[in-house]
Formats: sequence, structure tokens, C-alpha cells
Amino acid sequence: MATSGAKKVSWAEIRFWRILLLVSFLALWEVATRWGWVDKFFVSQPTVLAGQLWEWIRSGFIFRHLLVTMKETIIGFLLGTLLGVAIGFLFAHGQKLAHIFDPLMVALNAMPRVVLAPLFILWFGLGLLSKVVMVISLVFFVVFFSTFTGLREVDRDLVNNARILGATPRHMIRHVLLPSALTWIFASLRTSVGFALIGAVVGEYLGSHEGMGYVISYAESMFNATGVLAGLIVLMAAVIAIDVALKRLDTRFSYWKPTRW
Amino acid sequence: MSGHGRTGSIVLERVTQQFPVPREDREFTAVQDVSVDVSGGEFVSIVGPSGCGKSTLLSLIAGLVPVTSGRIAIDGEAVAGVNPRLGFVFQRDAIFPWKTVAQNVGLPLLFRGVDAGAARPRVAEWIARIGLTGFEQYHPYQLSGGMRKRVALAMTMVCEPEIVLMDEPFGALDVQTRNLMENDLLEIWAQRRRTVLFVTHDLEEAIALSDRIVVMTASPGRVKAVYPIDLPRPRSVTEIRFHPDFGRLYETIWKDLKDEVRVGYERSQKGLMG
Repeated sequence: MATSGAKKVSWAEIRFWRILLLVSFLALWEVATRWGWVDKFFVSQPTVLAGQLWEWIRSGFIFRHLLVTMKETIIGFLLGTLLGVAIGFLFAHGQKLAHIFDPLMVALNAMPRVVLAPLFILWFGLGLLSKVVMVISLVFFVVFFSTFTGLREVDRDLVNNARILGATPRHMIRHVLLPSALTWIFASLRTSVGFALIGAVVGEYLGSHEGMGYVISYAESMFNATGVLAGLIVLMAAVIAIDVALKRLDTRFSYWKPTRW
Repeated sequence: MSGHGRTGSIVLERVTQQFPVPREDREFTAVQDVSVDVSGGEFVSIVGPSGCGKSTLLSLIAGLVPVTSGRIAIDGEAVAGVNPRLGFVFQRDAIFPWKTVAQNVGLPLLFRGVDAGAARPRVAEWIARIGLTGFEQYHPYQLSGGMRKRVALAMTMVCEPEIVLMDEPFGALDVQTRNLMENDLLEIWAQRRRTVLFVTHDLEEAIALSDRIVVMTASPGRVKAVYPIDLPRPRSVTEIRFHPDFGRLYETIWKDLKDEVRVGYERSQKGLMG
């Protein structure tokens, strides 16, 4: 991948600037709302937000809802990924199949699934299932298209060499195609994790009685900006945590590549 | 040259290969009416200007691509699909970047169902042969170009193919590494006496290595001439160049090759401009 640049970046310095940026943003926000430049009814206030978050954590209220959202996200994410990889392999293998389904795939992918959420709730109820389906519909296409592309980008020489060296179709998948496509699949996983959470939250937002989407939607209906923003912060933290985990996993599977930045 | 006594003979009879040109309603003729006989254990090089279909010939013999017309037979048997008795060394090193040196060299044995216990000594032997003992657990990105090429060579040789097809295998290496690899190849060849069909655009390399040289014309590739190389063996590629006959052979063959190279070059220029 990318080689390290000519100039060595100093991480300590970068970290310093990042923290400074965050702190000054929060300070500006706090000051602006305290001195009445902006009404805190609309934008809340950092200290109030922090208090709200602490209250949620202390009472355990947030964990119940976060757990519901995470369950939907993870189940949908795993199923969507599995389905995407499987169908990607199937289509990359059978050219005819790929040609037949190509317009359908493109059309389905172009469809804004978020708008379909009310229909999913109508079909699959207010509970877990409708959200999982929503997540799958978002994750599947991202993973499918990357797997498909990844498999078509496999080095032809490697495939030919494996054929000459006596690889069976199973060997080919296990030792050539899958490792080669994994780079693409992992890149897509990190994109689709964000989508997965969006899917679950939007599903909850439109119809549910628990989960982070429900918390946010409830706060919104009460014109409670603090509740909405605090909910978003919790979601942000969740996405970052998942992304870090996936990054670790990616590094674990790309041990054979030169170190990247 | 009809010494078909040992196994590993290759016969090409009036082989023609055409590919459809994408988005145009015509066929591109890569090679035309090529007839070549290679006896078992012989080292034959194919030289010709770039784009003359040398590599296409190897893909056809390996069974990677079905032949358009004509006949290709290995030990009298027509080629139909990939043949496990063949080895192929690619121009770019087609080794698996996600596997270690040891795993790469052992992969063909794994593919062929050799159990791990029996495979281990054979893998160790070949890693030692290519001088990479101690590098077993390295991944390809940690190796130099020459080392990667050695891994590719060991990977091909570990299953003891009767015929080895080599497609400009050393083209990307620097001259010193290249000469070392060529000597290694000659040594391996002298010990095992497999048939080698070696494609190159480097005439010096071809003379230094081969028993015979097939000169091909610019596209569409036809056989222009075949030259026996009667230099003494065993050879060292670095020293054989000083043999009195080397210059004479070079001059004779180059006279044939030169026109084709010019035609090939002019065509590629025209292709670039139009």
C-alpha cells in the first residue's frame, strides 16, 4: 500500500493538534452557550451533555438500549457480510449468473433502503427482525460488490500458476481467491460497519420501543437537544470501537503485506 | 533431431493461434503455422521480438489456452487442458504473497495430495538448493527480486515436472543476479535432465543456455529458423561468452533476428501513434 512519506510525521505533534482542536471546539461551544450567543435550548451545552451521559451510564439506562442496537447491528452485519461474500463468490465464478443478475443488483443497490424502513417494519414487525433485515440490506451490497471486484482483480498469473501446480477448485478458493479477495472484503467491512449502525438506528428511529434510535427519537419528540446529541455521541463511540476492532482484525489478516502507515 | 527415447518430448504441428480483438469484428493472429520438435531432456530457447507470440506458445503447450488450429502433443499425447507433468515459470514471479517461503515451495505438494510428513524433506531440500535456508518463514515482500524468483523456481521444480516451460523468467533481474540464476538453472537441468522450453528476447542468454534456438518472426509469429548450439557443456553463462564459437553463433543468429526486431519495433511505434 502507501509507502511512508519522505518526511517522517511526528505522532506526538499530531496528537497535540488533534486534542487542541477538540478542546477549543468544546470550549467555544461552552462559552457561546453560557454567554448567550447561542440558545442552549437548540444546541445544548458540553457540560450539560457530559452530565446527561454520566447520568445515563450511572443509572445503566443507556446500556440496555445500546445493547439492543448493537445486537441488531452485529447480527445484521454478520449475516449481510456472509451473504455478500457468498453471493460475490457465486457470481465471480459463474459469469452467466453475473450477467443475468447485473441489472437487478445495480437497481437494488441504487434504491434508497432507508426509505424502505417503514415497509420493513410493516413486514417484519417492531422488533429485532425488521432492523436486522434493514442492516442486511445496507451491508450486503457493499460487501457483495467488493468481493466480486476483489475476485475479478485476482492476479491471473497466480491463478494460472495454481492451476498448473495442480490446485483443485477447493484449493483455488482456499489458497488463492479468498486470501486475495480478503483485502477488498476488509476494506468494505470498515465502510459497511457504519452503514450497519445507520440501518439499525434508522429502523429503531422509525418504529421501535427500545434501542438508541428510539432514545434519540424520544428525545427529539420532547425537543430535548441534549438527549439527541448525547445519543449521537454514544453511537459515535460505538462506531469507533467497532472500527478499531476491525482494523486489528485486518492487520491480523494482512500480515503478509509490507507495513502500511 | 528425432531422439524421442526419453520422456518429455514436445511436438508442435502447424500451430496457429487467433484471439478475437475486443470490440472489433476481427481476429488477431498471434502465432501462425508453428512447427517445432523438442526431444525429451533438450534445452530449447525461443527468441523473437516482443509481441511475436512466444509467450502464447507456452500458454498453449501448458494447456492454459486451447489451440485454434494445429496439434500440440506431449510424448505423443495431444494436449487437452492443464497437464500436471509440466512446470511453468512465469515472467512475473507468480508466488503467493500471503504464504511464507516454505509454504510457497510446499504448495504444489499440498495441491497434489502429498502428506505433510513426506512433503517436509522435499521442501527443505529445495529451499536449500535455492540457497534460502533460514528464510523459510519470510513472506515474499521481505525478499529481493532474485530471491522471489528462486522461490518461484523451487515451487515449479519441487514436483519434479518432466517439462519446464519458462517465460522470460529472468527478464526483471539485474545482470549479476540473472547470471547466477542462469547458472543455477543449468546446474539443475544437468542433474535432472528435464526438457526445458525457454522463452526470451535476449539472444546472449539463449545461446549460453540452449541446445537449440528457435528464431521467430515479428507478429504473427512464425518459425524463421532453427539453430543448433554446439557449444561444450557443462557451461557457465559468464564464461561461455568468451568461447570462440559464441561470437560466430551470435552473429549468424542476430542477422536473422535483427530484421524481425526492427519490424516489431516499427509496428509497435505505429501502434503507439495510431
